[in-house]
Amino acid sequence: MIIIGEKINGSIPSMGKAIAERNEEYIKEIAIKQANAGATYIDVCASVAEDIEVETMHWLIDLVQSVTDKPIAVDSPSAEVIAEAYKFCNKPGLLNSVSGEGNKMDILFPIMKEHPEWECVALLSDDTGIPKSAADRLRVFNNIMAKAKEYDIDPSRLHIDPLIEMLCTAEDGIAMVEEVMETIKSQYPTIHITGAVSNISFNLPYRKILNMGFTVLSMADGLDSAIFDPLNANLMAMIACTEAILAKGSVTEGMDLSAIAAELPAEQVKFLYPTYAALAMKAGIIEPEEDEEYEERDIEGLFEELKGNLTEDADARDFLGLLYATDALLGNDDFCMAYVGAFRDEAFGPIK
Amino acid sequence: MSKLEELATAVTKGKSKLVPNLVKECLAEGIEPTTILNVGMIDAMGIVGEKFKNNEIFVPEMLVAARAMKKGVEVLKPAMAGDSSVSIGKYVLGTVAGDLHDIGKNLVGMMIESAGFEVIDLGVDVPKEKFIEAVKNDPEVKIVGLSALLTTTMPAMKETVEALIEAGCKNQVKIMVGGAPITQEFADEIGADCYTQDAASAAAAAKALIA
Repeated sequence: MIIIGEKINGSIPSMGKAIAERNEEYIKEIAIKQANAGATYIDVCASVAEDIEVETMHWLIDLVQSVTDKPIAVDSPSAEVIAEAYKFCNKPGLLNSVSGEGNKMDILFPIMKEHPEWECVALLSDDTGIPKSAADRLRVFNNIMAKAKEYDIDPSRLHIDPLIEMLCTAEDGIAMVEEVMETIKSQYPTIHITGAVSNISFNLPYRKILNMGFTVLSMADGLDSAIFDPLNANLMAMIACTEAILAKGSVTEGMDLSAIAAELPAEQVKFLYPTYAALAMKAGIIEPEEDEEYEERDIEGLFEELKGNLTEDADARDFLGLLYATDALLGNDDFCMAYVGAFRDEAFGPIK
Repeated sequence: MSKLEELATAVTKGKSKLVPNLVKECLAEGIEPTTILNVGMIDAMGIVGEKFKNNEIFVPEMLVAARAMKKGVEVLKPAMAGDSSVSIGKYVLGTVAGDLHDIGKNLVGMMIESAGFEVIDLGVDVPKEKFIEAVKNDPEVKIVGLSALLTTTMPAMKETVEALIEAGCKNQVKIMVGGAPITQEFADEIGADCYTQDAASAAAAAKALIA
C-alpha cells in the first residue's frame, strides 16, 4: 500500500496556523513523524492565497527535505503552482494532482513526459463538475487515459482518485465508487488507485471507524494508494491485515486466519478478525439478520455471533462500530441513521 | 401532545413514514394549512438547524428531518393551492466559477428550502453573468447565496459580488456567502451582506434578512 502522509496541509487548522506563523519546528516534527510511521510520500499543500503559494511551497518543501529523504507529493489545486513547485524537490515525487478540468493535463503531463520518474495523481472530475454516476466518472477516466497516452505516460505512473465523497449524503453507500475502481483496475492492472479516505466520514460521528472500514473495503476493490494520517496506528494495522488477507486470495469461508495471524506483528493481530469480518460482509459470506420488530438489520446480533472471546471493552466497541460502519458503507443503512443511532446509544463508547 | 406538536416532533426525528399521515390528520382537525406548514414543519426544521449549529446532531439527522418535511409538504401542497404562496421568497444559490464542490451548497439549499424559500440552484462553476441573469430575470429573488471551497476560487467570489453590485442587483437582493475557506473578514472585505458558517445558520440568517 502506497501511503501519502496528509498532515502538512494548510487547510488543517493547526497546520494552517503553523504555516502562517512560520513555525518551522512544528512542521519538521510532523514530517519526521510521518516518515517514521511508514509514509511512502509526504504530501505538502500550502493552502494559501495564490499570489504567495509558490514561495510558501518552496519554504515548506525545503523544510521537509531537510529532515527526511521520503519523496514529496506536491499538492495544490493550481496546476501552474505545481509546475513551479515541483522544481524545488530534490528527488522525483508525486504531482498532486491533475483532473479533466481546464488545461491541467496540458500543463502537467509534459512535465511527466520530460521526467519519467515522477508519478501523478489524477482526479475524475472535469469541467462539467464532480460526476454523479459511475459511467460519467469512467468517461472522465477514459479522457485522462487518452491524454496520458499522447504524452507516453505509462499507466503505472498514475494514481487515479475516483473521488471519495462523504457517506452521509450518498444514496447507495460506496457502491458507485467501488464500480469505478473495479472497472479501472480491470482495464489497467498496473494503474494505482488512490483516495483521501477520511472524506468518507465527514459529518458523521466516530470518524476513525468509518475511515478504517472504507479503507478495508476499497482495498478489496483495488485501492492501493491513499492519502491519510500515517500516525493513525489502528488504520495502519487494518491496512496491514487487509494486505495479508488479500494476499491469500479473495475472502472465503475457509480462510485460515491463524496462519495469517502468525505472520503479523503482535500489536496488529487483534485487528485481523474484525478486518476479515468486514471483508466477509462485503463478500456476502456474513450477513446480519433482519430485526423483525424494527425493520432494521440486526448488527448487534451479528456482533454477538462474531465477537468470540474479545475481552477488552474498547476493542469490542470498535469491532461493533466497524460492523455498523461496514453495513453503512455497503449501502444498507438509510443515510447512516442506524450508525448514528448506535453512536447515540453509546454503543461505540461514551459520548464526550 | 397536540396533533401539531406530534407532527413537529415527527419532523425533527425524521420520521418520513409518519409525517404524511400526521399532516392529513392535522388538516382533518381543521388546522390552517399555513399553520401546519409554519408551526408543524418550518419551525421544527428551525429547531433541527439550531441543534446542528450547536453540534448536537449530525448531517444525516438533518437530512432525514428535511426529507420528512419534504414528504409533509407534498401532502400539504394541494390543500394550499389557491391560498397565499407557500414560499417566503426565492433564493438563488450556486458555487462560484472555477469551483466544482457542491455538497455543502446542496445542504444549504436543503435547509433554505426547509425554511420556506423557493430555491433556484444554479449548480457549480457558475459564471458571475449567470448569477446576475438569475436575479434580473425574476423580481421575486430576494437573496443570492455564493459558495466556494477552495482558496483559489475566493477571487471568483469577490468578482461575483462586485459584478452583482455593479449591475445594480443590491437594490433587489441581499448577498450571502459561505464555504470552508470563507471568513466573516473576507465577507466584509468583498461587500457581502452576510456570512454564515453552516447550512443551519444560513437558513436562520436568510429568514432574518428578509424579515
